[in-house]
Amino acid sequence: MAVIKKTEIELVHKFNSQTCRHTLNGHTSVLHCHHYATLYSRLADDCGMLDGRKLLFECAEDSFLEVLCSYYAEQGIDSIEDRIAIAEQYYAVTGLGKMNIKCAGAESGEVELLHSHVDEGWIKKWGKRDSAVNFITCGYIAAVFSAVFDHPARSYTVAEFASLVKGDERSRFNVVLA
Amino acid sequence: MAIDRKKVIADMAKVEVLGNADGLIPGFNVFVTQLPAAFWNRFAERLTRQVSEDLLEAAEWLLVNAAHECGYHTGYGIITSEEWKAIVGPMVEKVPDDILHGAFAVFTAWGWAKSEVIELVPNERMVVRAYDYYESDVVSYGASTKFSAYMIRGVCAAFMDLAYGGDYDPTGETGLRTFQCQQTKGIECGDEYGEFVITRA
Repeated sequence: MAVIKKTEIELVHKFNSQTCRHTLNGHTSVLHCHHYATLYSRLADDCGMLDGRKLLFECAEDSFLEVLCSYYAEQGIDSIEDRIAIAEQYYAVTGLGKMNIKCAGAESGEVELLHSHVDEGWIKKWGKRDSAVNFITCGYIAAVFSAVFDHPARSYTVAEFASLVKGDERSRFNVVLA
Repeated sequence: MAIDRKKVIADMAKVEVLGNADGLIPGFNVFVTQLPAAFWNRFAERLTRQVSEDLLEAAEWLLVNAAHECGYHTGYGIITSEEWKAIVGPMVEKVPDDILHGAFAVFTAWGWAKSEVIELVPNERMVVRAYDYYESDVVSYGASTKFSAYMIRGVCAAFMDLAYGGDYDPTGETGLRTFQCQQTKGIECGDEYGEFVITRA
């Protein structure tokens, strides 16, 4: 089914001169570079102390679920098409990359990335690698599906089976209701 | 001090940062994101609260190191950027002292920490105070026994690397980690401000 995505995300960026904090749609936001994101991702990947990949996934899921749910509630975004359009646009405006949600249902979905901060940052810093590393985006995608279909966190599993960081043309993810 | 902090903060805070058509934010020789501070805090806090006591120092080092590398490379990108040349450059009289003061004004303007250099012994030691910083948000009630400003620690050390660690090295093999930073006070620990002492590594 062809879907025309027209809804445009509204961004309210404020700087508080007293606290010197920035907010994006009411959420304290902060700039960080690809060194930071990739080192956090490598920390998660290499972590022998605990399951770092799961930890990073869940932190992303919890954080972006808050952002998306509050946006949908405040702006009255109810349709699946509009919710997906907003999620793709938020991903892009914050610099995470270019996401295309190819299909989405309450039970499953398919997502691809044409550009990715984490993957392209990783390649810029260390070069290509032979396994996926975008745990942040996996968490983001889980948050998107939970927000779109009104589920709580930890409702979806996300598997990255093709990756820009591996040299694939695009990153691809499968989403399944847990 | 020649740096007009208020002007630097006011001007630099206006710099718009939004993803391009590819959803990326290239700038200052790096790719940038503008994400919720809660995301970064969550990972740092859950990691450091879940690891066993004997691994806490190692976990904290990894978090500080991420910011140290970030601060070194992005910091260099900032102090060589057109924005810096236009806004801060004309105020710089004494190098590298004024560059450090300017860098912390930018650090403040971009929402990392409302911070300033309060003591500087060239080539040896620096003390930074932060009066508001997002990493203190991990505590909403009471006082923690654990300092949580890993990002500030890393960036403070990186700025001293850039000032006194020799020529910038894009590979990070030299110049990086010539300084280290310890947090000695923290808002999250009940202090009025965070304090950071940077010394030679």
